[in-house]
Amino acid sequence: MGNMDELIDKLVQDGTTVKPAHHPVLLSLEWIAAAVFYLAVALMLSGFRPDLMVKLHEPWFAAEIAALAGIFVVTSLSAALLSFPDLHQMRRVALAPALMFALFALVMLFAWRADSPPSQPPVHSIECTLSITLLAILPAVWIFFVMRKFASTHQYWAGGIAILAAFSVGALWLRLYEPTDSIMHVIEWHYLPMILIGMIGMWLGKSLLKW
Amino acid sequence: MTDNTDNLAALMKQSLTGDQRAYAALLQETSRLLRPFLAKRLNFTSEVDDLLQEILISIHKARHTYDGNRPYKPWMYAIARFRLQDHLRAHYSDQLHHADDLSELEDFLHEPVTESAISYESISGEVEKLPEKQATILRLMHQEGYTAREVAAKIGMKESAVKVAAHRAYKILRQKLER
Repeated sequence: MGNMDELIDKLVQDGTTVKPAHHPVLLSLEWIAAAVFYLAVALMLSGFRPDLMVKLHEPWFAAEIAALAGIFVVTSLSAALLSFPDLHQMRRVALAPALMFALFALVMLFAWRADSPPSQPPVHSIECTLSITLLAILPAVWIFFVMRKFASTHQYWAGGIAILAAFSVGALWLRLYEPTDSIMHVIEWHYLPMILIGMIGMWLGKSLLKW
Repeated sequence: MTDNTDNLAALMKQSLTGDQRAYAALLQETSRLLRPFLAKRLNFTSEVDDLLQEILISIHKARHTYDGNRPYKPWMYAIARFRLQDHLRAHYSDQLHHADDLSELEDFLHEPVTESAISYESISGEVEKLPEKQATILRLMHQEGYTAREVAAKIGMKESAVKVAAHRAYKILRQKLER
């Protein structure tokens, strides 16, 4: 008991004024704004796919882009919530990525059915995954850097979701840049690697978000 | 209950502005709330005290993630549960590790004596050749049946130090008996 009193005294001595962290919504908005800027710069440097305006009039392509953007927004918000020990008492919102991924899978299913006869896949394959991953590195580093200042009690999930947020920025960039119409290629080399990337993120979360 | 919760949130809000009296009151109250929570989940009072201190330090480190505009208790318990899980994970993995050491040693003991030069006597002999502290620990744990915690109390060492010493002793024995 004596030790406890001593510890409390020490903590109290150290208890100077502390500025409370930003609200998670504000935090995620900061990430989203920075990612939009980063995406715009990346697209300015790489250029848009030549048929982008035509493609945006195709319902399933537009739905895919909207769902992917939705994944980015929702995972950013969820990662921000997961940075707080109590998820800022918004547990349901933190679980929203599950719903968004289900919606995305549904959109891809319809897009795949609409791709009939199937479009010719491009000659490259894993290059797409690597390009997305490379582009996602900077947002991932930034999100992790910010999250480390918080106190996550769900380090696996926080890491996984943060990496998926960053990866979705890369995926958006490639979809707006690469003139590929083959849905099978896109599913196989753009989106399915998200599962592996998410698992890597969970592992990173465990090691990098310790506090 | 609501009053108490509101009080705690208010105390934390004041603490964040540097009010040390409020912070002391908050930590005392937090400690009072968490002690039975931990006591229900842990076996030993010393464990409860150690973990409670760890949780208070975590609350201190994470206090910037609380803004005083939401209930305090869910935030506090989230941190407490997190540290408790960490503690239990470490505790069980340590026990598992310890059990691995024993099972490895038992493998030698179960080998047929006719096909091996290893006997209970030879192990006892080797134990006696170990450094005095390690030999005492193994004797107490395996001949007299004391737990690592009891051995620690008996010879005035920390429990973790006893486990480490035992682990080193198993390694030495394993090497000697494998020759």
